[in-house]
Amino acid sequence: MKYSMDEVLETAVEAGHILLESGAEIFRVEETMQRISQYFGVDESHKEFFVLANGLFATGTTERGHFAKVRQSRVHGARLSKVVAINQLSREIEQGKYTLPEVKQELERIKNLPEPPKLLQILSSGLGSAAFCCMFGGGPVDCLAAFLAGLILYVFVLYISAPHMSNISGNLLGGALVTVICIFLYKIGFGRDLSRMVIGSIIPLVPGVAFTNGIRDIADGDYISGAVRLLDALLVFLCIAVGVGVVFTVYRHISGGMLM
Amino acid sequence: MTLFVHFLAAAAGTVAFALIFDVPRGYYPLCALIGGVGFFLVELLMELGLSQTEATFIAAMIVTLSSRVCAVWRRCPVTVFLISGIIPLVPGAGVYWTAYYLIMNDTDQALTRGFTAVRVAVAIVLGIVLMLEIPNRVFTRSKTR
Repeated sequence: MKYSMDEVLETAVEAGHILLESGAEIFRVEETMQRISQYFGVDESHKEFFVLANGLFATGTTERGHFAKVRQSRVHGARLSKVVAINQLSREIEQGKYTLPEVKQELERIKNLPEPPKLLQILSSGLGSAAFCCMFGGGPVDCLAAFLAGLILYVFVLYISAPHMSNISGNLLGGALVTVICIFLYKIGFGRDLSRMVIGSIIPLVPGVAFTNGIRDIADGDYISGAVRLLDALLVFLCIAVGVGVVFTVYRHISGGMLM
Repeated sequence: MTLFVHFLAAAAGTVAFALIFDVPRGYYPLCALIGGVGFFLVELLMELGLSQTEATFIAAMIVTLSSRVCAVWRRCPVTVFLISGIIPLVPGAGVYWTAYYLIMNDTDQALTRGFTAVRVAVAIVLGIVLMLEIPNRVFTRSKTR
């Protein structure tokens, strides 16, 4: 055996951990860890991996005794470029293109891949809001209003809710913020269809990754992780609805009964 | 005409989300196409008389199927296309209307909208799961030929 088994398992765990934190399915995380350790000579009988949505466990019998590692993970939003990169890496490892030190180096590089620039993310959020406003029947001015609300929403998400708030309060306040902005724009005569404006602008909060991955995990038979992710998605949906609802209720009392 | 405008909007919206999910740039055109076609199908099928649930179910199947074909073709995880492409189908509007009618004390409408949103979500789940059940070799075999 060329490499120490501890080192191989350590590398496999690192790859799995990056995948898990970037929003990959459980199945892919397990498979990648298996592939890497298999290729570098740690076979089935010497290892066991167990992956859940929020952490992974790896144990093995190595030449030095026992290997055991637990890594917690927290998904802060999808980083699909990392999933793509590790997928590519694991394919190339199997083609024999990498030595173990090279794999480690590559993993380190992938781990530090930069996020899309914040400004671009904010612009995308605005564009997404406007696009969805249009898809659900909003007119041009409504779309422009949704664009503005989407911009402000993502400034809030990137600088306030993501780093400092829980999922629950972040989405609740996000939904409320968007509704306040839309009501304000509507009141000053900017936009004709308040509902469509709000629908477009809340879309950037929609938990697409948790929802889709939850379904995939359940389809793969990873029920625990799938259930956790779907619960996460459901919770976010509810929080958005409550955020919107609370602002509408307050507004309704202030304006005396009618919403629009 | 409206259908076409909505198709473009859905494609643009999908790319916007692809960027937020940090999908590598090279995949944007395919993401846009899948997301746009998915939403276009829902609207088209509804105009042909299907319910929103049925239309979404079929669209979710097509989105998943084309995501898998693209994933094999471009040799990348299916997640890249699936997560972005499914976004236009997610019943975000349904969630809004449910909250809205609850606030307006219109319980009937709130229930109707709420159940529709749940049905649509289940339709997406079924559509994705069914198409994921097709074994991978079906896609890889047709590629080598």
